[in-house]
Amino acid sequence: MAAYLIRRLGYGLMTVLGVLLLLFVLFFTVTDPDDIARKAVGERARPEVYAQWKKNHGYDRPLLVNRAYAASDRRRYTDTLLFDHYRRMLSFDFGNSDADDSSISRRLKEGMGPSLSLTVPLFVFGLVLGVLLALFVAFFRETYIDRAALVVCMLTMSIAGLLYIISGQYLIGMLLKWFPISGFAFEPWLAARFLALPLLVGIVSGMGADVRLYRTIFVEEINRDYVRTARAKGCGEARVMLAHVLRNALIPILTNIVITIPFLFTGALLLESFFGIPGLGSLTVEAIHGNDFSTLRTMVYLGALLFIAGQILTDISYALADPRVRLS
Amino acid sequence: MSGAVGRRGIMIGLVVLALAGCSNDPYPSADGNKKILYTSFSEAPKTLDPAVAYTTASHLITGNVYDTLLEYHFLKRPYQLIAALAERVPAPEPHADGGVSYRFQIRDGIAFQDDPCFALSQGAGRSRKVVAADFAFELARLADPAVNSPLAGSFAPVLGFSQFAERLTALRQADAAVANLPANVQYARAGGIAGVIAHGERELEIVLSEAKPQLLYFFAMPFTTPVPWEAVAYYDGRDGREHFADHPVGTGPYRLASYDKQYRMVLERNDAWYGRHALDAAPGSQFPGEIDAEDIASRAIDAGYAGRRLPFLERIMFVREREDIPRFNKFLQGYYDEGHIVKESFDAVVQNDSLSPQMAARGMRLDKTVEPSIFYIGFNMDDPVVGAAAGERGRKLRQAMSLVIDSKAYLELFLNARGVPAQSPLPPGLFGYDRDYRNPYRQPDLARAQKLMAEAGYRNGIDPANGAPLKLSFDTPNTTAQALLQYQFYVAAWRQLGLDVEINASTYNQFQAKVRRGAYQLFTWGWIADFPDPENFFFLLECSNAQSKSGGPNTANFCQPQFDRLYQEMKSLPNDAHRADLIRRMLALLEAERPWIELFHNEEYALSHAWVVNAKPMGLSYPTYKYMDVKPELRAQLQAEWNVPLRWPLYLALILMVAVTLPAVRTFYRERQ
Amino acid sequence: MSSLSNAVVVCLLIGAAWLLRHLWHDRYWRESGLQLWRRRPLALITLAVFLGIGLMDSIGWVGGGGGEDDEVAALRSRTLIDRLFQPERFTEASYSAPLAAVSFYGGQPLKYPGSHLLGTDILGRDVVYRALKGIRVALLIGGFTSLIVIPIALLFGVSAGYFGKRIDDAVFFVMTVLASVPSLLLLIALVMVMGRGTVQVCIALGITGWVHFCRIARGETLKLREAEFVDAARALGVSDRRIIWRHILPNIAHLIIITFALSFTGLVLAETILSYLGIGVDGSWGQMIDQARNELSRTPIVWWNLTGASVGLFALVLAVNMIADALRDIIDPRTRREGQ
Repeated sequence: MAAYLIRRLGYGLMTVLGVLLLLFVLFFTVTDPDDIARKAVGERARPEVYAQWKKNHGYDRPLLVNRAYAASDRRRYTDTLLFDHYRRMLSFDFGNSDADDSSISRRLKEGMGPSLSLTVPLFVFGLVLGVLLALFVAFFRETYIDRAALVVCMLTMSIAGLLYIISGQYLIGMLLKWFPISGFAFEPWLAARFLALPLLVGIVSGMGADVRLYRTIFVEEINRDYVRTARAKGCGEARVMLAHVLRNALIPILTNIVITIPFLFTGALLLESFFGIPGLGSLTVEAIHGNDFSTLRTMVYLGALLFIAGQILTDISYALADPRVRLS
Repeated sequence: MSGAVGRRGIMIGLVVLALAGCSNDPYPSADGNKKILYTSFSEAPKTLDPAVAYTTASHLITGNVYDTLLEYHFLKRPYQLIAALAERVPAPEPHADGGVSYRFQIRDGIAFQDDPCFALSQGAGRSRKVVAADFAFELARLADPAVNSPLAGSFAPVLGFSQFAERLTALRQADAAVANLPANVQYARAGGIAGVIAHGERELEIVLSEAKPQLLYFFAMPFTTPVPWEAVAYYDGRDGREHFADHPVGTGPYRLASYDKQYRMVLERNDAWYGRHALDAAPGSQFPGEIDAEDIASRAIDAGYAGRRLPFLERIMFVREREDIPRFNKFLQGYYDEGHIVKESFDAVVQNDSLSPQMAARGMRLDKTVEPSIFYIGFNMDDPVVGAAAGERGRKLRQAMSLVIDSKAYLELFLNARGVPAQSPLPPGLFGYDRDYRNPYRQPDLARAQKLMAEAGYRNGIDPANGAPLKLSFDTPNTTAQALLQYQFYVAAWRQLGLDVEINASTYNQFQAKVRRGAYQLFTWGWIADFPDPENFFFLLECSNAQSKSGGPNTANFCQPQFDRLYQEMKSLPNDAHRADLIRRMLALLEAERPWIELFHNEEYALSHAWVVNAKPMGLSYPTYKYMDVKPELRAQLQAEWNVPLRWPLYLALILMVAVTLPAVRTFYRERQ
Repeated sequence: MSSLSNAVVVCLLIGAAWLLRHLWHDRYWRESGLQLWRRRPLALITLAVFLGIGLMDSIGWVGGGGGEDDEVAALRSRTLIDRLFQPERFTEASYSAPLAAVSFYGGQPLKYPGSHLLGTDILGRDVVYRALKGIRVALLIGGFTSLIVIPIALLFGVSAGYFGKRIDDAVFFVMTVLASVPSLLLLIALVMVMGRGTVQVCIALGITGWVHFCRIARGETLKLREAEFVDAARALGVSDRRIIWRHILPNIAHLIIITFALSFTGLVLAETILSYLGIGVDGSWGQMIDQARNELSRTPIVWWNLTGASVGLFALVLAVNMIADALRDIIDPRTRREGQ
């Protein structure tokens, strides 16, 4: 087991290094640091201000080889953008925003709360509701309910997320006045008011695909022998569904869900942006509009890191459950 | 299933509705009866450092937290300077060598707001009196290249201003350790600015090497506020301390209580503000005594406030709103006290140029002000086809292109006619603006434009060089789909001339890179005045400011010796007949040369609710919150009236739900049994 | 530009004809096709109509027929759709409601009263025309990207799965790295770094999308490598290239088709998000939606712009989704093996 663990972690680390290389190619070799500096300090600033800004943000080094040092000096390779990029990212020293010099770590901390308060309920409610509805549909499989449900799923899956948001805001926020149209509050009581509408829109827009997937899993499970045995034993249909099918289907469902966990942290980009929730999604959108490359870089990196961590955890739990995996 | 999805959705809806108390009120109810002004902002301030902050978004905060020596009179137009931290507006004292002095007497008893940074000088004290040296410190910061103030160039006439910057730079280069000292120590080592002299604690003398009357306007901008050196030294961003750019320490009527630019900014009344304690009637601390009958009649100003001591609001809450539509709807629901019209909702609010009957019945008020601004399309005068090099041909092409742009139609389409079609760079309200002046090349006239095209050798837009329509490129710094529509309007207009104009929408960075390389023909840009003087517009077309020569703001690269001569003479004159004549001659030159197609001057339609008092807008980017007041009881009452949720769809959906699922369940049991 | 587009259309048509002929001669594919037609006639017709309009909007030439009053248009290549609608002439001053006789604001008489089926937008352009123009963009985004991605993904996926060892390790590593980055963020980063434009967006969508294909191709090839008929072929001394061509590729074709259909809708929907962020493709439905999203707040409400784009988007995505769904049932591997 230990050997497997080390191997898996090692591979995870390799992947992180690979992601960092990808980011380096994207953000340092394709974009000119001079452009970023000019945008940040203004077109008319003096040359020394540019130089100072580039120094503060670490853009003043050469890309791969620092020819200022002798060939034998280690700094020839360590005092470079590539090395510095790896060092800073791996030590979680994200530096300051390219757009307004604020500390990225601080912005991340500030944005984490609002993001999580939207994405966690979205995740939990979405999962519970999706599973319940799918159970309901699977229970009535091959009746008109099942057929109608699949059609509705297909219809809801074919609508762009943007349209859900636009129409939700218009109908519920403006015409019916049930909830505030947009905004956020840190007081829990008020926050519930603000989050209700984005939650509703988020859940409805994702429900079609979820229900369809879970239904397939359930129906597959229902067709297995043990279900027939249970039914033969005289279990009621409801009991079969809840006690046997649901329990056994949870594993494939959870595997599907692990993939979505990084989005809990990167925030729901569109929802946050439209509903004015000051989370990490809004931060990302702002970084896009403000050409804030350092923030964007950090967000991409963190998203990848969380994904890799999630994958490792899933793999390890599989290995714990199934000894054969460890040997392969 | 549709039923099932809906049912669960509505069940959640019900639960959350129950939880949230079934209301769309975004604020804690306990604040309902306080004197709080609720308003919104869309762009986050980049910095709150008064030496750097240059945007309207920043001024919302800096204008309230930082006081200045002078201010604009709240009600008088044309704009008039009054004394604020200064005892009086100083008169120029000419020197024999052509220089000028201004002596500011600083009011007694002005103190900074309470702040931990004063531990650096006061020990246990948390505040300190303002002295003349604090003003000098801020002026030195404007000169400091490391601060990178956008206004450094404007203060060049101050004696020894640029020399100070050079000495400072030399000092830092000679000894790297200097850059790590507190800024005030560095400035002292560099010897200070020769033309900024603090006489004792309460007199500040500014010496200019040449006459520049406009400089006085800068003393009404937060750029010249007193700044405590302690704040700059303490808030250095290290060891968990904030940056000075995020933590203002000033003397103003309000102090920044909470600052989260993603979410909201809160200003609280500053109890240490001089206006609340001054025994004498300082003009900046009192509501003006004379009020126009017109302002009273239009309910812009409540006459009962005349002569009362400022400020009235306890707290001002700025909530971040990224999207216009939700922002405006929350205003309509009464959750923002003031708002700006968005074009989509215009027709619901404004009819026949005044408030619609429904809105007027709600007690809403509409204030229209033309901003001292100009939006324009510029030609790159260095370009061989549209520029000066093309001589008479280029001039005729520019004139023709100018003749087909119909600003009035543009304003109607995109801005609900909120704006004044521009005849020249000068907006209304400025000296030199002539309301009867009609620029002959800005009156849409297709026939004349086509004739000019033919004279320029481009008959029907055909470029004789290759027999195809003349191709031009139009560079824009905005890539959004919304902006694209507006650019397409111009392109369609030029197409009437047979011109094939291609839109190159690029990001801000790419646009600036193109501008630097000189790789552009047509571009679009805007300018909002720093201060109400024609000089602040004409300098955008002066040769030494040309982008291709000095990287200056003259992006059109317009260089015309005669224009420059007139500009040099005009800029330091007082507003008299001679100056007016010079301006007329400058406008005549621009009229024929057409480096710009002047599009329009933006008109702001500010809305405020019945419970907001004294909401008259200023026009310039100066917050007037210290003059404003609210009536919280009226607000609470109207908010409740306007926000009754519509519940019947919920009940209807519930009934439908049951109607759909019941037969399903019945069928199921019949089948399985 | 127009000649390139025409050439691509001709190549596509020839390729499609060849493929159809080929599939028609294969009993299995013919029957699957007929079954699909029986199960989803409406979706297939919708898709065919969209493809037809997309093609009509791709064939263009300079000069001839209409637009003589507009020099610029006359010298530009205009497609069949452009010629049908004459967009230079068929415009109004600003908004007009569907089939209205007067303009929406002000009530002036229109140039073409009662002939704008879905009204006109703020610049007076016909909404039906704009929505139809969006079809080509959507097909380009979905189809073009997939056409770039599938060969690359097959090449890497199949060779990784078939040859294993170093090649597999390398391909698998690249896949893991790309899959680790949240795809929307990667997409945004790529477009920001490469700049705007149809080609750039397609490439960015391709880079983020190929991993999925590649993983499926690799997994299936791994399974097939061990299959008896492949072993038999190898024992008979058939070359690797021939085994891949004759035995592996035909056996993963069904997966590729299903994945193509599924990813197509994902790509078209992803573009709307890019459009909202200001980095989308010019003329797309996403852009139309973004331009129209605030029009719901106008009084009276302007709904036809949003509707035009949304209905187009919805119809295309739904049709492809339905077809993909039916295809999955029809050519499911299990039923397929039984048929063999």
